[in-house]
Amino acid sequence: MTRARVRTAMTMLAPYLLTGPAIVFVAVFLYAPVLFSVGLSFSDWNFIHPEARFVGLDNYAQVLGDPYFREAAWNTALYCIVLIPAQIVIPLALAALLLRVGESRAGRIYKPLLFLPTILAYSTAGIAWLWLFDPLNGFLNTVLTTLGHAPSRWYTDPDLALWTVAIVTFWKTFGLNMLLFLAALVSIPKDILEAATIDKAGPFTRFRTIELPLISPTFFFVAVTTSFGVLDDIVGVIDVLTGGGPYGSSTNILYYMFERGLKYFQFGQASAASVIIIVLVLAVTWAQFRLLERKVHYES
Amino acid sequence: MAQFTSTRRTFLAGTAGLAAASLLPFRALASSDATVTVSSPWGSNQPFQKVVDAYNAKKTGVSVINRMDGDYQEMATKALASIASGRPPEMMVTGWKFGYFARRTLGARDLAEIDAGKAEEIIGRFKPNVRPLVTIDDALIGLPWAMSTPVTWINMDLWREAGLDENIPLDVSHAWLVEQAARIDKALGGRNHPTYRSALDLSNNEWTSQAYIQNAGGFILDGDKLVCDSAEAIEGMTRFAEPVRAELWTNMDYRAQQKAMFAGNIAIVTTSSSRAAAAAKADIEFKDVMFPSIEGNRKMNSGGNFLAVYARDEELARASMDFLAFCASREGQEIWSEVGYLNTSVHDIPRGPLQEAAIAQLEAGLTPETIWPGARGLEGQDVWRQWVARILDGEVQPAEGLARAKDDLAPLVVN
Repeated sequence: MTRARVRTAMTMLAPYLLTGPAIVFVAVFLYAPVLFSVGLSFSDWNFIHPEARFVGLDNYAQVLGDPYFREAAWNTALYCIVLIPAQIVIPLALAALLLRVGESRAGRIYKPLLFLPTILAYSTAGIAWLWLFDPLNGFLNTVLTTLGHAPSRWYTDPDLALWTVAIVTFWKTFGLNMLLFLAALVSIPKDILEAATIDKAGPFTRFRTIELPLISPTFFFVAVTTSFGVLDDIVGVIDVLTGGGPYGSSTNILYYMFERGLKYFQFGQASAASVIIIVLVLAVTWAQFRLLERKVHYES
Repeated sequence: MAQFTSTRRTFLAGTAGLAAASLLPFRALASSDATVTVSSPWGSNQPFQKVVDAYNAKKTGVSVINRMDGDYQEMATKALASIASGRPPEMMVTGWKFGYFARRTLGARDLAEIDAGKAEEIIGRFKPNVRPLVTIDDALIGLPWAMSTPVTWINMDLWREAGLDENIPLDVSHAWLVEQAARIDKALGGRNHPTYRSALDLSNNEWTSQAYIQNAGGFILDGDKLVCDSAEAIEGMTRFAEPVRAELWTNMDYRAQQKAMFAGNIAIVTTSSSRAAAAAKADIEFKDVMFPSIEGNRKMNSGGNFLAVYARDEELARASMDFLAFCASREGQEIWSEVGYLNTSVHDIPRGPLQEAAIAQLEAGLTPETIWPGARGLEGQDVWRQWVARILDGEVQPAEGLARAKDDLAPLVVN
């Protein structure tokens, strides 16, 4: 074989050699468990028994017929309706405000303060919020009673637990979206904004007609990642704050799956729930691509 | 001074040397002890660690490591995963209520099967009435050394401030306790008191609700049969929920309640007698009286945990038995008594502070707490808790809630 042929072969092989380890890693730690999970969802297995018994669609029937799953699914819908718009609109508004204050002293103080909750561990944040929401001695109840209102049970009240979890989840996670929006806004060429200002465009018009279209790729990215990220983000808060209670009033489908698998060792049912979740997430992501991607301007 | 220059050759030689060194059996060379790991809910600052340290100091040839693995449920989860991977902890502290799960699913060892003579010697150091608590499916599966029972804790600072009689009887009834709670709330509630927030907390959980049902003459389970919707059980749950209806009990979760009790926010709490050690050290003066009877009837339950052996390796199983023998000895029991559990051993160990009520209940006879049968027994406990919480919150009336609990529990307690 000539040296030229070896070089050609190496050039052809190089991409496979370079990406090979990553592909193996993803295949072993992502796709293989997903496929294993799909197989497990048709079986009755609890980790210890050597043989998994094939049960067909029984696990799916049990999960879909379980009132706690239906409650978890309803709660998940509520969480999504409240949190997805909140985690997009409010961080965007905050990023726009931070852009206006720029590198002033206020900007240097607000940026880290607003981002701080994102880097806190769920356990730390949870303990802090448990104190604030404490049903007998919490700060929020002290404020309520000082103002002459009756104290609330917050996370121990079945009517309020879900909203308590939503508030803490928002507080814990909005910072990252805010930072992404801020980075996108900062990267908009100044001359375009200056030209608009010369044309007497007000701040709101500038934001709506120039800034928002120019950050649409970031907007799209945030919308997609927030939509499935919200399922995951809530789990940490539920685990620390309510454990899904009182009696399932604050749980979501991911936490339901966690409980079926790692609390009650019903791995078949947990796998069935995970397959349902995967299908739901794929459907939502596909819809987002269909509805939003055509409105994204990738060219600068 | 000689300078070290790193080259590719020295780097490779060094790396190869380190790799070879890591393969050497240093641990085996350093010690020939059999090492036994105990999965427990206690950290290194707890009396259990002192028991472990005292045993290790004897250098018997067995080294014991205490590994804190969370609460009973988290420990069971981790145990299941480690059993699946073929490396179970040699021993695990297991809740009484998970007895069936421990034996039937996790495969807790029969101590008699490991060493019949030693097993008899160990269990012989405990009172005969606790032996049935660790006998599951005719197998002796643990050391019955941690027993508690729900009692009533009274915050004497708030009690006095409310102007109530300090001569509190040891044997109290539900009606009397609710009456006192109402008097405390009338005296201290409705104004900006620095600590007082709630008169009473009977504990929103499976344990105290079971005690109320039993005191009313009912049961949750009669053997494997669900009887939680009997007239007696409905009566017990109705009484249990009364203080919430009367706004004397701010229903909350266990963590918040524990914090509130020691912050002086609640005047009367019914919960585990094992809070004795913490209550004795608190800045607040607590008094322990018996769990409220229902019109003089009391059939109290116990709770706690046992130390079970899961080792599959026979040498490690026998090493575990050696540690169990130390735990059952007078020396081990004296150290262990610091926790605040009732003394279940035959050793004459001085009574700890604030244990009068618990001992009175123990002497009157205790039933086991509900041991959930069936492969899905762990789930059964949570389902029961959820219905108790719904009844307390007034989402359902006791009769309906208990009937629906029975329906939900029926498929879970089948063996």
